[in-house]
Amino acid sequence: MSSSLHYSGHLYFRHRLVLSILSGKSIKIDKIRPGDKNPGLRDYEISLLRLIEKVTNGTVIEISLTGTAILVKPGIIAGGPVVHECPTSRSIGYFLEPIIMLAPFSKKPLSLTLRGITSDDKDLSVDLIRTVTLPHLEPFGISDGLELKINKRGSPPLGGGEVSFLCPIVKQVKTLNFVEPGKVKRIRGIAHAVRLSPQFSNRMIEAARSVLNRYIPDIYLYSDVYKGEESGKSPGYALSLVAETTTSALHCAEAVSQPGVAPEDIALQASRSLLSEIERGGCVDQKHQTLVLLMMVLGSEDVGRCRMAEPTERTVQFLRDVRDAFGISFKIVPADKSRGSRHLLYSCYGSGYVNTNRTLA
Amino acid sequence: VPKWKSNLLDQANASFQVAWKHRDSDWTKLIYSSALSPRRIVRDESSEEGEGDENNEEYDDLFKLKMVTDADADALDATKEAYLPNQLKKWADEEALDSIRHLFITGGHD
Repeated sequence: MSSSLHYSGHLYFRHRLVLSILSGKSIKIDKIRPGDKNPGLRDYEISLLRLIEKVTNGTVIEISLTGTAILVKPGIIAGGPVVHECPTSRSIGYFLEPIIMLAPFSKKPLSLTLRGITSDDKDLSVDLIRTVTLPHLEPFGISDGLELKINKRGSPPLGGGEVSFLCPIVKQVKTLNFVEPGKVKRIRGIAHAVRLSPQFSNRMIEAARSVLNRYIPDIYLYSDVYKGEESGKSPGYALSLVAETTTSALHCAEAVSQPGVAPEDIALQASRSLLSEIERGGCVDQKHQTLVLLMMVLGSEDVGRCRMAEPTERTVQFLRDVRDAFGISFKIVPADKSRGSRHLLYSCYGSGYVNTNRTLA
Repeated sequence: VPKWKSNLLDQANASFQVAWKHRDSDWTKLIYSSALSPRRIVRDESSEEGEGDENNEEYDDLFKLKMVTDADADALDATKEAYLPNQLKKWADEEALDSIRHLFITGGHD
């Protein structure tokens, strides 16, 4: 384990920055799109660096002249009130996901206002972050005062949305032991349409029900209406779905409007993605593997266990990068050998991470 | 060319084949002690793109055709993975829809 991290390429940018800041190791990333017509960092990556500068104190960020290399020397996570304008090239989710990994370890509780696009097809929408990502922190003891409020919605391309994120601070996170996936007991969904007839969300809800009604009666799909100023600058609609199991495992999927595609088809896409996600199963949704694994690494000095589906590409790289930053590797074994299930049991010995930034009361 | 560089592709293929066989049994090893890219570990063999075209060697030495790799500039650091359309198409089928009933509380015991 060396005292600094060194990576090449623009991929996995966000989790690498997070690992650097949490571990206190400086990070150097080079060869960022060196052969591209437009080499170096993109505007949203620079914006993310600026945001990290705002939520931390004493972080030194050096960007090379060409923008193809950066060096970050992490400071402490300060928290407190922060406001940030996200560029419209990526949605708010892109910025919020890494911040959620850092915020519980701040000096002061973070109160972050982000402006920009609230749902797109690349990153988690603010609806999913509110209903799925944040509950994933609960088993780790991060829940009281954890809140995401959607003040205004903003669809691409112009955005105009706004959210407020409040995060409490913790001294240490609890060890996770989550191995029972349970069975799906209810499905919830949020359909929204902004700057369009509310008919769009009703059409999506009807189409989603045509797929999901066969399974369970406990389905509630909510049509979320935002009007006037609160509906952002561009028209758009989306459907996000969450399935909850008897053991409170959450699986989610969503689809956002695309030009020339009927709302019924968007709803079908979301519903079918949800079925794929339910079929994959496990205790943690595929899109939240890295968040849960990170919290397991930071857990107290005990063995944490979690049953999940096979890792995604991002998860594989994340596991490798975690080992570089914290020297911790996971044991990954098939969850049950007898049955044909493809579930895996991930376990690791927590690093006993203590939030030293926290002001002692 | 140093010796270790001479047959990198073969070596990579060999290690991939070995790793693939143990896919179900040993994720720990696959992740931590192989040098395979995440994409090759996760994706199915069938969906692999042809890597290392032999034809490239015929080109003039001065200009090398650049391989498209995992790290191409268009690849995004994005959380939602795009579902392949045919992955979702299977849910149009009643049988497929019924095959996951046991995952719901209403589905009885399996």
